Amino acid sequence: MSKPTDLLQGTLDLLILKIVALEPAHGWAIAHRVRQMSRDVLQMGQGALCPALHKLEQNGLNRSQRAVSNNNRRAKYYMLTKAGQKALAEESAAWDGPSAAITTVITAV
Amino acid sequence: MPIRRFYRCCRNILRRGRIAEDLDEELRSYIEMVADEKERAGRTSEEAIREACRETGKLEQVKERVLDVKAGASVDRFFQDLGYGLRMLRRNPGFAIIAITILALGIGATTAIFSVVDAVVFKPLPFPNADRLVRINSVLAATGNGDVASYPDFLDWRTRSRAFERMAAFRTNDFTLVGDREAVHLHGAVVSAELFPLLGVKPLIGRSFLSKEDEPSAASGANPLILSYSLWQREFSSDTSVLGVSIRVDGHAFIVVGVMPQGFQFPIEAEPIELWTTIAVDATGGANAMTAQRGAHYLDVEGLLKPNASVKQAEAEMAVIATTLSKEHPENKARSARVVPEVEGLAGKVRAPLLVLLGAVCCVLLIVCVNVASLLLGRAVGRRKEMAIRAAVGASRGRVISQLLTESLALSLLGGALGLVVAVSSLGLLRRILPPEIPRLESVGINGHLLIFALVISTASGIVFGLAPALQGSRVTLTEPLSENWGRSSSGGKAQGRLRGALVIGEVALAVTLLLGAGLLIQSFLHLIHVDLGFDPNHVLTFEVNSPPENAGASPHQFFGRIVQQISTIPGVSSASADATLPLTGDAMRSSIELEGQPMPLGSRPSANFNVVEPGFFRTLRIKLIQGRDFTEYDNVKSTPVVIVNRALAQRFFANQNPIGKHVRPGIGNGYGPGEPPMREIIGVIGDISQGGVDAEASPEVYAPLAQSPFGTMFIALRTSGDAKAMVNAVRRQVMMIDKNTPIYHVKTLDQYLSQSFTLPRVVTLLLSGFGSIALILACLGVYGVVSYVTLQRTREVGIRIALGAPQAQVLMMIMAEGLRPALLGIVIGVGVAFKLTGVLASLLFRVKPTDLATFAAVSALLAIVTLMACYIPARRAAKTDPMCSLRYE
Repeated sequence: MSKPTDLLQGTLDLLILKIVALEPAHGWAIAHRVRQMSRDVLQMGQGALCPALHKLEQNGLNRSQRAVSNNNRRAKYYMLTKAGQKALAEESAAWDGPSAAITTVITAV
Repeated sequence: MPIRRFYRCCRNILRRGRIAEDLDEELRSYIEMVADEKERAGRTSEEAIREACRETGKLEQVKERVLDVKAGASVDRFFQDLGYGLRMLRRNPGFAIIAITILALGIGATTAIFSVVDAVVFKPLPFPNADRLVRINSVLAATGNGDVASYPDFLDWRTRSRAFERMAAFRTNDFTLVGDREAVHLHGAVVSAELFPLLGVKPLIGRSFLSKEDEPSAASGANPLILSYSLWQREFSSDTSVLGVSIRVDGHAFIVVGVMPQGFQFPIEAEPIELWTTIAVDATGGANAMTAQRGAHYLDVEGLLKPNASVKQAEAEMAVIATTLSKEHPENKARSARVVPEVEGLAGKVRAPLLVLLGAVCCVLLIVCVNVASLLLGRAVGRRKEMAIRAAVGASRGRVISQLLTESLALSLLGGALGLVVAVSSLGLLRRILPPEIPRLESVGINGHLLIFALVISTASGIVFGLAPALQGSRVTLTEPLSENWGRSSSGGKAQGRLRGALVIGEVALAVTLLLGAGLLIQSFLHLIHVDLGFDPNHVLTFEVNSPPENAGASPHQFFGRIVQQISTIPGVSSASADATLPLTGDAMRSSIELEGQPMPLGSRPSANFNVVEPGFFRTLRIKLIQGRDFTEYDNVKSTPVVIVNRALAQRFFANQNPIGKHVRPGIGNGYGPGEPPMREIIGVIGDISQGGVDAEASPEVYAPLAQSPFGTMFIALRTSGDAKAMVNAVRRQVMMIDKNTPIYHVKTLDQYLSQSFTLPRVVTLLLSGFGSIALILACLGVYGVVSYVTLQRTREVGIRIALGAPQAQVLMMIMAEGLRPALLGIVIGVGVAFKLTGVLASLLFRVKPTDLATFAAVSALLAIVTLMACYIPARRAAKTDPMCSLRYE
């Protein structure tokens, strides 16, 4: 289980928003997709994911709906709201600048 | 956005159960999905579930974290803790009852006193311009006491000042309205025309006074009159055609020009004002009118500050004006001026005592808090294990503190609720025992302010008494309390002991301060009731009566003379007489006087109290005649004008001379026809009497016979051999027989006036003594608690010491020292604080210094003895323990 502090502050939210933006997903699917897409580098457990999802919902950035999953389990699907889309755009833009800069610095010879 | 957040917060709290269920389901399905994945990877289903669970982490912690991010989580947790706190209280009812009871008493008393102070001192005045209204006092430089002003002073103030938008003068007066039915006595005010626009109040119907109506010439025979709403309702049946009608008041014609709105009252006094007329009624008499005399101090002055002017600026300006006036007129030499915000001036003499009481009752509440805190500390010992378990299962220190604070809050809110009941039920009592002449006392009652104050003060107390025990109680090491033999030698116990010691120091210091205040007031009160009044107030009935002007031909002297004569015939009346202003009522008349051989323009003469009496007045009141003779029937308009003066006047103006045979000219009281009042020969000197309340200094006084200076409103005083009050009906009958149109009013015994002037000091002394006693008891309980606690902590040690042969006295001393040390330190600190603080009592003390050594010594000794007792009782018990018992104890 990875703790939220393993990720940079705020990046967890950004990752969740990004995944949810692609298509509505439930908690396990989100964790799975992050692991998949980061080629097993980023792993998040429910201990971090679940509070983050609820906080985003509380702040109106995503909303949830109950549905039955592919393998016939009832699950809570999260999807992006309009405010969430805007936040995603802003956050990704805000991430790009420093992260590119840091990469430049640390990859310099 | 905040609204939506608030909405979500409420929803979360209300749908708590549903949210928890949802969360359970979500987490469960997550684990199942992880397990599915593991199974797909080849684990058995059991292994898969076990691994999934392990990876997910502690389910309860995850849930807790999710609930934490929800809006309203803290509110939710607060209610959870509150419920738990209440359950804990129910499990320990003895503690809960004691704590809630003393909290209820403390909060109740504080709330009750606050609501009186709020209504009487703080509540804004009911006028549009309330925040800019100020009272301007003429101040006697010698004593610093505020005084009323003379009309010439008022006019000079008004024309020379820049800080005021408007300025108006007023005085109250008693009127007799003669209508169709029987004559009625009315309390009214004589005001300058500017008063109503100054207050920002318009009449309900009709008009305000016009500024030219301050002059008698403008009135053309009939002065204007404005009625109060209630008088208009009562006597004129709310008839709007009353405007322009001429009515007879005190035998003169007045034209009704307006009716004030319902509830309007100015000046604000206990006795409602029923009508207003202009200052023109005082301007009759031409050059000798009251309004022409600078020595005639009889008017209150109200000012409306300009919007940008401060009270300080106005006061500075008035100081300059007063200095200039004191150079221009000898009479003003001893005078300066003071500007007081009206709301402050209105509370006047009761402001300081009420604020002192509020401070005192807050001290009591603080002591209550200290006691509850030390009770909580005691309980914390029993709850160490609980706290350790909480910490062990992962509660943070902050979480434990907030839980403990919530429990204290539960306690204080319960105490506050009960305290509110105490406050509301004691309001009636307070209203009854406080002097009824306190303005706005009748408006004391249950209102929003009271409820808010009770809530705020309960919450604050909860935090005050809960914080230290919570900080202390939350500091636990995990292993110590859980081990079996914890408590024998714990560092926690020592820290607790120190905290308790500090609490005792605090409460003893507060109790000392309160008791010192109470002691000083008691002494002052004893001085007050034993002061020599200069007359004998027992068995004297007094009432006021107006001479009916309709009785054409009969002079006031004849009218009042007849009443006095008739009343003297009532069996049981030993003597009767009349005078214009009664001692103790505080309503002395002020006049200018001119001294023989020292001619001075009218506007510059010194001032003295002026009174008019019938022969035998001094005998009736038993006022000492020091020199010369009393007035007789032969001192009338046909004989030499005469006066009797008091000792203060003789000493001030005729030092080292025989005053008998000298002459003075009082500015008022002329029975010899128009023109300047005559020079009068001094025929007697009487002893000084207390004029305006018992604690006032004696000022120069002049008494003239009624026959030589007619006066329309007189007090009749009769000395009786038995109970003075029993005479009231007989007196009323006699006066009715003389003139049925003459109502008698203000019927009171001199004793009543006297006890009235004592009421406030008595109530303040009583309440402060009560608060002091409560503080003393609570402080003793605190000391007792500390020593008991120490005894418990050290039972084993004491046992060993005794077993090894330590003398009992030594053990006793050792334990008592634990309580005595903080108590004595508390006394020293309390005395130090009180030394600085009792200065605020200075204005309430009569012939006692705020740093009276005897009081300080007595109170310190009392505290020392009482705390010694509180230490001795539990310590003796400890010293007497059987060493075998105490060693086996653990």
